[in-house]
Formats: sequence, structure tokens, C-alpha cells
Amino acid sequence: MKILRTTSVLAALAASLSFGTTFASAGEVVWWTPNFNEARARELVAQFQEANPDITVRLEITVTDGLPQRILTALQSGAAPDIIDVQHGWVNGYAQNNLVIPLDDVVEEGRDDYVPAALDYVSWNDQVWGVPYRIETHAIIYNRGHFEDAGLDPDAVPETWDELVETATALTGNGRSGFAITGGGEVGNTIFRSLPFIWMNGGSIVSDDLTRATVNEPEAVEAVKFYTDFFTNGLSPASTLENDGTANRRLFIAETVSMYQSGQFDVPSIAAENANIDIGVMTIPHPEGAETAAILGGWSFVVPRDARNPDEAKVFLEFLQQPENMGMFTDTFPARTSAMDLPRFDDPILQVFKEMLPYGRPVPIHPNWVQITQAYFDGIQRILLGEDVQAAMDDAADEIQALLDS
Amino acid sequence: MVRQSTGLLFVLPALVVLAMLIAYPVFYTGLLSVTDQQGAFVGTNNFAAVLGARATPQAFWNTLWWVGGSIVFQVILGVATAVLLNQNFPGRGIVRSVTLIPWVIPGIVAATTWAWMFHTEFGIINYMMTAPGLIEAPIGWLSNRDTVLPVMIAINVWKLFPFVAIMVLAGLQSIPNDLYEAARVDGANFWHEVWHIMLPQVRPVIVAVTLLLVIWGLNSITIIYAITRGGPANLTLITPIQIFRLAFESFQFNQAAALSVIFFAVTIVVVFIYIRYLASSPAEAK
Repeated sequence: MKILRTTSVLAALAASLSFGTTFASAGEVVWWTPNFNEARARELVAQFQEANPDITVRLEITVTDGLPQRILTALQSGAAPDIIDVQHGWVNGYAQNNLVIPLDDVVEEGRDDYVPAALDYVSWNDQVWGVPYRIETHAIIYNRGHFEDAGLDPDAVPETWDELVETATALTGNGRSGFAITGGGEVGNTIFRSLPFIWMNGGSIVSDDLTRATVNEPEAVEAVKFYTDFFTNGLSPASTLENDGTANRRLFIAETVSMYQSGQFDVPSIAAENANIDIGVMTIPHPEGAETAAILGGWSFVVPRDARNPDEAKVFLEFLQQPENMGMFTDTFPARTSAMDLPRFDDPILQVFKEMLPYGRPVPIHPNWVQITQAYFDGIQRILLGEDVQAAMDDAADEIQALLDS
Repeated sequence: MVRQSTGLLFVLPALVVLAMLIAYPVFYTGLLSVTDQQGAFVGTNNFAAVLGARATPQAFWNTLWWVGGSIVFQVILGVATAVLLNQNFPGRGIVRSVTLIPWVIPGIVAATTWAWMFHTEFGIINYMMTAPGLIEAPIGWLSNRDTVLPVMIAINVWKLFPFVAIMVLAGLQSIPNDLYEAARVDGANFWHEVWHIMLPQVRPVIVAVTLLLVIWGLNSITIIYAITRGGPANLTLITPIQIFRLAFESFQFNQAAALSVIFFAVTIVVVFIYIRYLASSPAEAK
């Protein structure tokens, strides 16, 4: 997360040019939120202003493409806004580099109400450095009609790995692929979909203390083999090596894929583009006798160390974290349990995604994580190209070990 | 003397700007390559790290194949097209303009379109081959070990051969007609003309264009990055993409700088050898 000094000088220059308006005047809170939140953010700001006329909240809308770089630039430039929406996984890096301030006083009131994994994600050194507001995990989206075509009961979904393979095998044929995995696109797609299988099998990519590469140990190798075998055995589309999450959704919409992993955000676009599909959702199957797992994703608010008006920002955060506001603001699920009771989360299609939440885990936090996942992903692609699983993971482990040691 | 120093004064602003925009970044890249993220001197650590990475030798070989393969076909196809377009036939102007289209299309647009055309499931190329029964199952053009780099090279050839064609065509048109007439008097046929008049006359053009193609090949990122991002499993990873990844995806600016320095050195050697042995021949001298 440390970036060259010069880069930050350039960054400061760029920031002062492009975000010259970021400098807040007294009592003004500048809030960066991504474009998908804009409409709801404006509504909340209007409500807040009515109750707090002495604090002005100024919205600046960000886009997710290139957001990490833009935020890092702002955090290091000394010209930061007062509140920024960031993904949970980024918070620790900011905290360790002293770029944001602790927010224990904000979450104190509702601490027991927060989903523990979400708070863990943004904690470092026994302090909380972000206020999580949105959480989500993957589940498996499936085509109920395809189940019936294959003579399967769409309500009796597979629960174990063996059952998943059986079901996928039964669904495959006549131009349909039973279960689509990802093997292309950006690294994150395949990490999000394959790492949970390693976790539920008791394995990991790196040891908990981040000193050892563990991706070539038996539990991990078995899980990677389970994942890649869907392609090797012809249950995942021939284009798997080109496919990311979006491509799988397109194939699902085109009804050439019967099951694939994704989040609840895919459901509306499937319904909009192919109304014939009777959408089902199931929890991700686990090995016999083990529990399922998923990567916990989502967003938190942080307050930069250089924020002009941190006190006013905290007042606004207090408002945003109220269960009804958080429940209204989130695109997926809120990070507070009590907010989950709101009517909008009663939709039956969301129930399974909700059931997956307690199994969501944070990804390891390491400065070289991007390169570590790249090494692992290269290994997965070599397997999909025909290399032996153990050999590919041994090579990946060597590369990851070097990254951990450096 | 006075004149000279006045002249120097006039070009000084331009020189300063050039120094800031070219010399400083080159120098700074060198500096970055021997320091760590805090700016402390670390000797050859960054070089050791990038040379030790599994991807580096693979990217190097891929780069050689990519540049070599692209240039051979670009030049052959380009020269052949130029000779063809130099003939007299009806509609020549239209054909000349149409030939230029691939070169005019923005790289990212072309790359994305080709990616879709080569896609295993939705791609029109597999559709055209499976529908009449040429092949039984769709081919994973972009996901097969043996096809993915050749496909990238083919796209690059398609993109740049019109440039070669138009440059060589310009050269062909400057050949005086007397040469052809003299040859015909001596009983030369078309192939004799190509071999003994056209090619020797446009040789300097071909040499210059090839040098440009080498440079463009060595620093091209767009086509490969937009289609495969260097994947699958680094099969299409070329060194410029590796540098880009190190710097802008992993934020390892120092290692990226080290790799750039190595790449720069190798490129200089290649270009030097090329100019020394291929460009400076008697034909060129005149």
C-alpha cells in the first residue's frame, strides 16, 4: 500500500487539479460515494440536512473503475474528502499506513448489532477503522426449468460436493453445461469462486500468520481439483478459460448454463433479459460433514486522516449507520443485523443469499495479495490447459512463497 | 560564433521541454530500478526479483514470437498487397482505400471485436466453421495452448499490414517508368520486374518500415491486453504487459522499472544489430 513519494507528489498535483473542489469549508462534509449509490445517497443527504441545518454534506460521485488508485491518491495527497466509500478489503491497508482514523466511537452504540465478520474485516490493532454498511456473498443461481428437463426436483438442491457433481452431470448435455466455473477475466472473479471451496475443505492459499504458502497442501489441492474438474470433465462450458462472472451470467441468460456462482446483484438483470428463466438460488455445496463458505464482500465508510471536518463527518456517519438508513442505502445487504428485518430484505429470492452471509469470511490481508492471487490464478489456468493439479499448485506455491518472503 | 550561440538560445526552450519529458523519465526509471519503495538504495535486488519471477522468461520468449511472427507476415503480406495495388485495374482507388481500413480502426475497438469473433461460444468464426460442418466442436481459439498466440499474431498482422502496403506502394510509385521499359526490351516478365526492379528500389522503405514495426511490436499492449490480458496462464504475456501489470496492478513500481531497464537494454541491442547488418548495405547507400 505504500506508494512512492514522487507518485504522491504527482498525485497531490493531480488531486488538486481534478478535485480542487474537495477542500471543504467549515462545517461541510465532503462524501465520496460510488455511482450505484447516488440516488439513495442524495435522499439520505436531504433527510440529514433537514435535521442538521448547521452541517452541509456535499456529495461527490465516484466510479468503481480505477477507484482504489483514485482513493489512494486522495488519501496521500493531503486533500482528502471527509468520508469515502471503500471495499472492506482495502480498509486494513489504509489503517496500517495511517491514512484513516479509528471509528470505534461511531460503531460503539451498535457494536453487537454488526455482523461480526464485517467488523473483523475493518479491524486492525484492536481498533475499528471503517464503518461497514454493505455486505454480500455468493450463492449458486440455477435454472429451475433445466432441473425439471433433466428429471430433477428443483426444490431438492444438491448440498454436498458429490451431489453437486451428480446434479451438474445430469444437467449437462444438449448444448447445456451443468455448472459454469470461471477461468478467465480479472483475477478476482476466480478467487471469489474457487477460494471458498478451498476454505470449506479446511485448506487455504496462505497460512493464517501469512508466512507460508499452503496452496499445494492436500486440502487445497483436493478443492482446486474439485473446482477445475467441472471443466476437465466437460460440465463447465468450453469457453471457461475466457469466462468471468459476467460471461457466465450471459451464458446463463442464454440458457446454455444451468448453474453458476454469483451474488444477488445478478438476479434483476437475468429477470430483465430472459423472463422465461425460473430462477432458483441454493447455498454453495460443501464437502460431506463440513460447512459451506464464501468470501464476504461489501463496502465500508472510512474517514481519512486528512479530513477537514472529521467531527461533522462522524455525526453524519452516526446518521448513516442507523439501521433504517443503512438498510435503505445498501445495494445488497446491510452490515447490521437489525437492519436486515426491513421489508425489502423479505424477498424470497434473497433468503438463500441471506443464509450464506454467516459463512462469509474475509480474504487474507497482505501487501502482495494482488500478486499472490495472480500466481494462484495462473496455476488454475494451467490446470484448465491440461497441467496436473498438484504440479500446478506446487509451482504456484513456490511463487507465492517468494512473494511472502520478500 | 555569435550566430551559433543565438541559435542555441532559440532552441533552448525546446531542449528544456525535451529534457523534462524524455531525459528525466528515463533517468528516473533507472533510479527507481535500484531503490525500494521508500527510496533507499537496494542495488540489484529489484533485478533479481524480476529475473527470478516465473513469468519473466516466458514473457521474453512470447515477445520474440510475437514480434518475429508479426513482422514476417506483415512485411510479406504488405509488400504483396503493394505490388498488387500498383497494377492497373478498374476500381483500384476503392480497393486502395478499403485496404487501409484495418489500420484506421482504433486498436481497442478492433481488439474487442476480434475477441468477440473468436469467442468459443458466441464467436462468429466458430459459428461459420461448425455450421457447414468444417469442424465438429467449437475450437477454443483464445483458450488453447497452441492457438492463442498465433491468433494474437494474426490480429496484429491484420491490423498493421495495410500500413506496410501503403508505404511500399508510395515507394513503388516513385520508380521511374524507364526502368520497366528497359527491362521489357530485355525480355523481362512480371516476376523479373518484381524481383529485379521493384524490391531493390523499395528496399530502403521496407527497411525503415520494418524498424518501425519492430518498435511498435515491442511496445504494443492494446491488442493482447484487451483480448486476453496476457492469459491464459501467461501464454500471451509479453514483456510490456508484464511491466504494465507489475506497475499498475501490483504497484511494484521499482520492479517494473527494473524490468523496463532490462527490456530497454535488450531492445537497444536488437535495434543496433538490425541497423548494423540489415540496413547498411550497398543498395541502401545509394
